[in-house]
Amino acid sequence: MSAEADPSALFRQEASELVASIEVGLLDLEKREGDSELIASVFRDLHTVKGSGAMFGFTEVAAFVHEFETAFDRLRRGEAAVNADVIAVSLKACDHIRGLLADPATAPAGKPILDALAGAMDSAAASGAGLVVQVRLPADAIRLGHHPRRLLDELAALGKTRIAALPEAIPPLDDLDPTDCLTGWRVEIEGNVDPADVEAVFVFLADLIDLEITPLGDPAPSMAEAPREATPARTAAPAQGSGPDTMRVATERLDELMDRVGELVIAEARLHSIAQTAGDSVLLVVAEDIQRLAEGLRDATMSMRMVPIGSITGRFRRLVRDLSTQLGRPIRFETSGEDTELDKTVIELLADPLVHIIRNAADHGLESPQERQAVCKPETGTIELDAEYSGAEVLIRVRDDGRGLDPAKIRRRAIDRGLTTEDAQLSEAELFRLVLEPGFSTAERVTDLSGRGVGMDVVRRTVEDLRGQIEIASEPGHGSTITLRLPLTLAIIDGLLIEIGGEYYSIPLAAVEECVELPAPHAAASGASSFLNIRGSLVPFVRLRDLFAVTAPPSDFQKVVVVTSGGSRIGLVVDRIVANNQTVIKQLSRLHAALKGFSGATILGDGTVALILDVPQLVALGRTIEDRSARLERAA
Amino acid sequence: MTKTILAVDDSPSVRQMVQMTLKGAGYTVVEAVDGEDALDKARRGRFDAVITDQNMPKLDGIGFIRRFRELPTAVGVPVVFLSTESRDDLKAEARAAGATGWMTKPFDQTMLLNVVKKIAG
Amino acid sequence: MNVVTMRLGGEIMAIPTDCLREILEPVPVTRVPRAGAFSNSLINVRGAVVPLADLRVAFAMGIEPATMDTRMVVLDVPIGGESITVAIIADKVHDVSHFDPAGIEDLPAVGHAWPPDFIRGIGKWQNDFVILPDLETVFSQAVQNHAPAASLSDKET
Repeated sequence: MSAEADPSALFRQEASELVASIEVGLLDLEKREGDSELIASVFRDLHTVKGSGAMFGFTEVAAFVHEFETAFDRLRRGEAAVNADVIAVSLKACDHIRGLLADPATAPAGKPILDALAGAMDSAAASGAGLVVQVRLPADAIRLGHHPRRLLDELAALGKTRIAALPEAIPPLDDLDPTDCLTGWRVEIEGNVDPADVEAVFVFLADLIDLEITPLGDPAPSMAEAPREATPARTAAPAQGSGPDTMRVATERLDELMDRVGELVIAEARLHSIAQTAGDSVLLVVAEDIQRLAEGLRDATMSMRMVPIGSITGRFRRLVRDLSTQLGRPIRFETSGEDTELDKTVIELLADPLVHIIRNAADHGLESPQERQAVCKPETGTIELDAEYSGAEVLIRVRDDGRGLDPAKIRRRAIDRGLTTEDAQLSEAELFRLVLEPGFSTAERVTDLSGRGVGMDVVRRTVEDLRGQIEIASEPGHGSTITLRLPLTLAIIDGLLIEIGGEYYSIPLAAVEECVELPAPHAAASGASSFLNIRGSLVPFVRLRDLFAVTAPPSDFQKVVVVTSGGSRIGLVVDRIVANNQTVIKQLSRLHAALKGFSGATILGDGTVALILDVPQLVALGRTIEDRSARLERAA
Repeated sequence: MTKTILAVDDSPSVRQMVQMTLKGAGYTVVEAVDGEDALDKARRGRFDAVITDQNMPKLDGIGFIRRFRELPTAVGVPVVFLSTESRDDLKAEARAAGATGWMTKPFDQTMLLNVVKKIAG
Repeated sequence: MNVVTMRLGGEIMAIPTDCLREILEPVPVTRVPRAGAFSNSLINVRGAVVPLADLRVAFAMGIEPATMDTRMVVLDVPIGGESITVAIIADKVHDVSHFDPAGIEDLPAVGHAWPPDFIRGIGKWQNDFVILPDLETVFSQAVQNHAPAASLSDKET
């Protein structure tokens, strides 16, 4: 072994230099994508790494670089083009080679990187050329057995397609013969497509149709779909070398833009509803175009307001360091998911509550080094802050490995403070929730760090104002976790519009799990809440009709909208599910702000106002139903 | 759901070849020996596609297509017209009668399958 | 000071034009469940969601059904240093007139059933007595009354 150590160390050294040179080449390529000289130089370096790797027994390195080189060969031969994705993945591949050089045993699998590289090159190859096909079939085509759908599918088999209908020839519904084929299509096919292949698709219709085939100009034309989600990678990634161009914009301007977009979305909803009533197909297509554009604009605007949570974690680091000194306890502070993004306003409002939670964790959660030693824990306590996306929510967790919450102590304190009674039967979760009540403080001694009266109730109010929720979990002796669940964005959500006795309400779509018919046995009864059996699990349900004191008689076919929040579910019984809609959230005025059950209001397409249901609060109501029935069972 | 194809030809060997090819690809095939037999069968049921020869006793292919298209069960049903000569005027006549597509004999199994898949899905 | 005079439940009320935003023909209203009688609905005022309140409830006046004269009056009312936009129902809006603040008298202690806190004073307009409501107090009380009473519960209890 020792005899080989020398040459293999030399190889490591040489390979690291080559990888560095490959990286420089890649970063230069990013600026000069078509430079074949650069591509050739990267290729040569790769080839050298592969060759000497195999010679010195670095088989994993050689195998990986072989695949990397093969992919790069496609660039060299002009079969694929360099683009940003290719560069980004190649840079990752360089990191991977470094990992393999250091220790092949612990390096992660290289296959995903190679797959990503192939994928990036495929899309690069395809994004070059393409065709625009515009076609109208004869009116009797469908009667004679031609299937437009199949023809479009055949076109789709030629390359990535974007299809738009050309409805200009469609008359109003009353004059329409449904067996006539009046729609035309405009199909963009990406990639290297032979016009003869397109003609072959329409071979049996050759001299009967208008078929226009033109080259596809701009590879990112107006028909391109707007990105549906915020793409954190683009804005947050601290790119190596030249980062993305950025520009500072005053927050007020972004706020104003957001307001305008909100108004646009409302106007768009009106247009859509008018177009639908008018039954004019051309108008409807325009309305749908505008809808798509408005959605794209909405998403783009919201993504501009997103900032990574890492932008405020710096001050927590400092805070923990100071706390550690003051309390004389060694504390390690760890963060993860710092690139998780939230609306700027949300992040700013969260800073203080998080400071409070972290203080609590350091002051009350973590034990003194002596106490920790006594229970065989490492002297250094740990506080972790992590953030992650979960559906339409962001979860921010603060976890400590301290002593955990003491349910008995909380209970005693709550009774002292009149927050509960001696004979109240509370579950552990219910007990923990008392910590969030105004006036509750578990600190046995008031220190200058926490326990000054303002406490978790302030945290709770801030989080609830942001339409979020707090969850508390704890394991005695092992620490506690406080989770903040926050909606991704504040201003606009997708809503499910429902009707109860002629009144319309909007439910945030992200919280809707499913919609089912209200089973017949429940339909007749109106009264106390009970449970629905949904595929074997019991889901509590409430009749919104009762909750909202609706007097009009229910429809014959009531529906149940099952909504979820924080892992719990509740079924909401409604008369009718109307539609999905874009919901611009308007805060309720102070006159109604204290009302539970509504998180805001929105303006519908016809100009009327609809209330937005507050799913977390309704789910909490469902939990009380469950707790109560559990208590009844215990009593029985 | 398997698709049912009506194959109309007076040649038993052609019918058998069509039968075998399409069955192998998962279609159900009903055979008819001439235009009148085919019309009779089309009146009694609906097919997902029809393949018909031109030269047949009693009723030829174009005559069959013309009368087939008058049936209510024929709306939306694709018809493939087969002929031995690749004559444009015959093709045009068949299309005017209501044919959806065509194929020139002799054809092999791949050609047949391609056309049927294209037209009947 | 300039005021807009309006009829509510048989009485005339005057509201300073300083806080008047606009006067609307009735628009569709959306009921707010469990919000209490004083302010139990919302309306759309040029894209803003505005609560609609009924001063007739606050002053325990008789409530007449809507007529052709019924209007919705949009106002900016200060509550605790912040101004909020609300709309109130008026049975009829008369006109804008000038009031001499010197002519405004205190509310007599007897002879009426109105909550005295809700009234800033009594003035005269075309030989009629006119009530100057204290909107800030009326709406501040509504905000406070709401806070504890609005929790969610189903039918148990």
